[in-house]
Amino acid sequence: MKYAVRHTTTYTYDDAVSDSLGVAYLVPRTLPWQQVASYDVTVTPTPVDSSSDEDYYGNRVTYFQVTERHQQLVVDGVSQVESLTPVHTEEALGRAWEPLRPLREPASRGAWQATDFALASPLVEQVPAAHDYAATSLTPGRAIGEAVTDLMHRVHADFEYDKTATTVTSTVGHILEKRAGVCQDFAHLMLACLRSHGLAVRYVSGYLATTPPPGKERVVGADASHAWVEVWLGEDEWLALDPTNDQWAGDRYVTVAWGRDYGDVPPLKGVIFTEAKRSTMRVSVDVAPVPE
Amino acid sequence: MSLLRDYAAGVTQPTLGGEVARFDEVVGLDGSLRTPWKGLAEVAVDLTAADLGRVDEDIARALADDGVTYGRPGERQGAWRLDPMPLVMDAETWTPLEVGLAQRAELLNAVLTDLYGEQKLLRDGVLPPALVLGHPGFTRVMARSSITDPRPLVVSGTDLGRDDRGEWRVLADRTQAPSGLGYAMENRRILSRMMPELYRSAGLHRMEPFFSALRSALLQSATGDLPDPRVVVLSPGSASETAYDQAFIASALGFPLVQGSDLVVRDGWVQMRVFGRLERVDVILRRVDAPWADPLELRGDSQLGVAGLVEATRRGRVRIVNGLGAGVLENPALHAFMPALCEELLGEPLRLASVPTWWCGEPDGLELVLDRLDGSDGFIVRAIDEPTSSMLDLTRDELVARLLAEPHRFVGQERLPLSQAPAWRRTSYGVGEAGPQPVTLRAFTLRYGSAYRPLVGGLVSLVEGDQPGGSKDLWVLKDDPSDPDQGLPDILPMTNVRASMGTVPRVLEDMYWFGRYAERVEDLLRLVLAAHGLAEDFSTRPRSTGGAGLDVMMGAVRRLAGRTHEDLDREFRSVLLDATRRGSVSHGLDGLREALSGVRDQLSGDVWRAFGTTDRAAYSLEVSTHSQQVNESAGRMLGGILSLHGVTASMIRDEGWHMIGVGRALERALQLCQLLAATTTVRRGIDVDREVLNSVLAAAESSVTHRRRYRGYVRPGGVLELLLEDPQNPRSLAFCLAELAEHLAALPASTGSSRPERLVIDLQEALADTDIATLVAIGGVGRPNLEAFLETTIGQLVRLGEAITELHHTSGPAPQLLAGLPLVDSFTPPVTGEVVLRPQP
Repeated sequence: MKYAVRHTTTYTYDDAVSDSLGVAYLVPRTLPWQQVASYDVTVTPTPVDSSSDEDYYGNRVTYFQVTERHQQLVVDGVSQVESLTPVHTEEALGRAWEPLRPLREPASRGAWQATDFALASPLVEQVPAAHDYAATSLTPGRAIGEAVTDLMHRVHADFEYDKTATTVTSTVGHILEKRAGVCQDFAHLMLACLRSHGLAVRYVSGYLATTPPPGKERVVGADASHAWVEVWLGEDEWLALDPTNDQWAGDRYVTVAWGRDYGDVPPLKGVIFTEAKRSTMRVSVDVAPVPE
Repeated sequence: MSLLRDYAAGVTQPTLGGEVARFDEVVGLDGSLRTPWKGLAEVAVDLTAADLGRVDEDIARALADDGVTYGRPGERQGAWRLDPMPLVMDAETWTPLEVGLAQRAELLNAVLTDLYGEQKLLRDGVLPPALVLGHPGFTRVMARSSITDPRPLVVSGTDLGRDDRGEWRVLADRTQAPSGLGYAMENRRILSRMMPELYRSAGLHRMEPFFSALRSALLQSATGDLPDPRVVVLSPGSASETAYDQAFIASALGFPLVQGSDLVVRDGWVQMRVFGRLERVDVILRRVDAPWADPLELRGDSQLGVAGLVEATRRGRVRIVNGLGAGVLENPALHAFMPALCEELLGEPLRLASVPTWWCGEPDGLELVLDRLDGSDGFIVRAIDEPTSSMLDLTRDELVARLLAEPHRFVGQERLPLSQAPAWRRTSYGVGEAGPQPVTLRAFTLRYGSAYRPLVGGLVSLVEGDQPGGSKDLWVLKDDPSDPDQGLPDILPMTNVRASMGTVPRVLEDMYWFGRYAERVEDLLRLVLAAHGLAEDFSTRPRSTGGAGLDVMMGAVRRLAGRTHEDLDREFRSVLLDATRRGSVSHGLDGLREALSGVRDQLSGDVWRAFGTTDRAAYSLEVSTHSQQVNESAGRMLGGILSLHGVTASMIRDEGWHMIGVGRALERALQLCQLLAATTTVRRGIDVDREVLNSVLAAAESSVTHRRRYRGYVRPGGVLELLLEDPQNPRSLAFCLAELAEHLAALPASTGSSRPERLVIDLQEALADTDIATLVAIGGVGRPNLEAFLETTIGQLVRLGEAITELHHTSGPAPQLLAGLPLVDSFTPPVTGEVVLRPQP
């Protein structure tokens, strides 16, 4: 599927900001199953300095600094993307999960690079409760595809989607206790569960194209940024699972960036110098299908 | 009695067994002195316990005078301790260690370059990836393929100990931001002064050329080909445990000591805020740990960093020494792999072995460590990223559970017996003995040109239990007296290294509070002395004139510091000594010390002598119960504080000097008005008033002037005229206001019409419009006009203080995080929300 993606973030402050530095992950990755025809990140007011670079994980990251006094900052990311559904062989999905633990099998192909995603990360600590929860799905010798898909089903069934249950800084322990959260919480939960058993899993930030209810027009700007996970299948192959929607990520998903957890690839983060006491933030995401 | 002979006899006595067999640094197995000490024998062997006791006291005093402090994490800064006996080593012992240190630094640099570049070591399995990637020192924002700027390891520290056979073993590598060079230099400075004969006869390597080389290496670290690169020392602030070390280095090298808030990134370049303009910074000697260095890309909750620093570094626009990310080399698990790394990267055998270490991330290592846990004597388990002490309280089962949950995060290490050296133990004042104590050595290695050069010398720590307790200087003797110091014949001595500091607002603020606290303490001490004089004579006769006067003067003390004790002696002691009491002398001294710590590199070391004096005076008062000691100690404290005048008198007349003047004049004016308001606005009869006025003149240091001018005839009009209006009396309000006007005018942010300047003009006009006859006019039991005038003036002075802070000390708003964006799932309407920003500190 082809999409025109627009992700606009607007900050409005109650007093002037004299200096604003930011880092943004808004440009989709180029992948075997995803082509990026064009992209652009615009910051208003015009930055005095900006750069575009590839980070440690190969994500496209934008750095900017605005020194013009402003009370409103707009960061606008637009891109044209064509996305396919990744295909995995039965063989890859059918392997037992135990040999796919990079710390146990450091010599296997690709393990050295997958190791980074098998270790605890700043926002995903090791909690025994996550290990116990996942053990039900990760039975000895079970096929990796089946085991992790089972875990995804269980997370979807056992955890309630509730925007009020958590905040950006909620821990995995908190999510397990509340049995509720939003997409990034479910992603973090999956990371904690699978990593506690030694599997390599990465956090993916991106978008999911939505379909309007039957008979209704698509509302522009009503989409949102999304998060899911990818589980290492060996060598350089990863299986993308979306616990929020209980499905494997397919051609309706746009992959922007991956890292160890949310903290590695937030859509936007920054430091501002201001006397302002409050700011208002507005996020608008639009993933519009482009007719063939 | 010779101390060394006694020591030698003591350590060669057969022990009862059960003692750890240690290598002795001074005495050989046969009981004779080791070679390097033989050369010193003539002087050293004659040293007696009495000699060393005296030297020990002198050292403690000199360290206090220099204000040398060290704080363990979470503790108040305490005095630095230096043992009077150096550790002496000859060239024969030193040289192999030096070669090993140079090789180690070269190897660590090669590892660093690979981990942040190609990662061949991980790809080829020379280093297990989990060992590196599971260590928080690995800084991913600095590991991008776009970065081509090489960031070599410039300075490294190596902690070493000797095993029972005297072989050196590395205990730890310090690469993040190694500390201790300043302490090592200070130790040498003190010891060479205290033991001049021994020092001269030793023929040891002086340290100065190493510092010149360090300075030169930092200047050459600048990227590009700059004729005059600017280097700064980035400190986490005066609360840092090694604040003294940082300030010493900055001042010895002649580079400004700055904090994160003094720097900004503009347009991709790091700039230092210097009055109204920004000046580019090319090299940063970093003493802030990497995670705290940039709130934008590293820890967002850091107040110590510079937003955008990582980006500027990645682009090679500023060079950070050591580079962000060098902390990954501090991982103790690397010890287990050093021999293999050395073969792989340098193609040589490793010369300097580490203390035997096993990484639990490998099955063999884990098994061995679990086995050794049972016979845990001489074996420790530690996390790769936490202090050694963090695991000590765990039970065996808890330890095993943690090991098995995340084996890659742990290592097992043998405990070295460590060598021992004589350490002076003070048994009472000036008396003590030298007994054996284990020692470790921190060595330093510098990348100079393209080679690594170890400092010929180092910082020796005396180990008490598991804690460092006290230090020793390391004397490395020359093989031949004509050998160049540090083996650096060509290095030019440093010339003109006084920090040419464009004054940053924070520095001005500290200078201002230096002036204010110094004056506050001085004035309070004079008041205490005046009140105590009355108390000595009249405290037993409350109904006498003097007794009434005493009451009034204690009222003035109360106005400044409250009242905590009914008993006068206890009250005086508390006003002088209780640091927790707001307004006390001790509280003021703490404020003064803090202000000075922030600008330590800007001021002559003589300022710390003042604290040496006040501390000793406070100590004398604590240990003496005599009432007379209050007077004695307060007098000595006053002497200490007055010595600060001498320091400021010889300062360059720059913004900082004027700011001290502003603080001092403002505080003096305030204290004077408070004193007068507490003492002269109520009438208490002619005799009592005269007693009070005499004490007020004493407290305001104007007795002599008054006597000359008014021939001893004390009355309110004369006293007020002298203290308020007399333009020639440096203690008068008029004089203070004139001083304020003059100093303010010299500050760069002043315009002639700035708010602080306007407020001073208002105050001067109000004073000129007031005549003494009106002020002393009586109404009821008091002098309402005087009271109103003083209260108004105090209010104005307080406002003036606020205006000065606002105009001269503000460096713009503090950085805050753009609130983290909540991620919101599909199927929801556009998100809007209010985000409350963090309040300004």
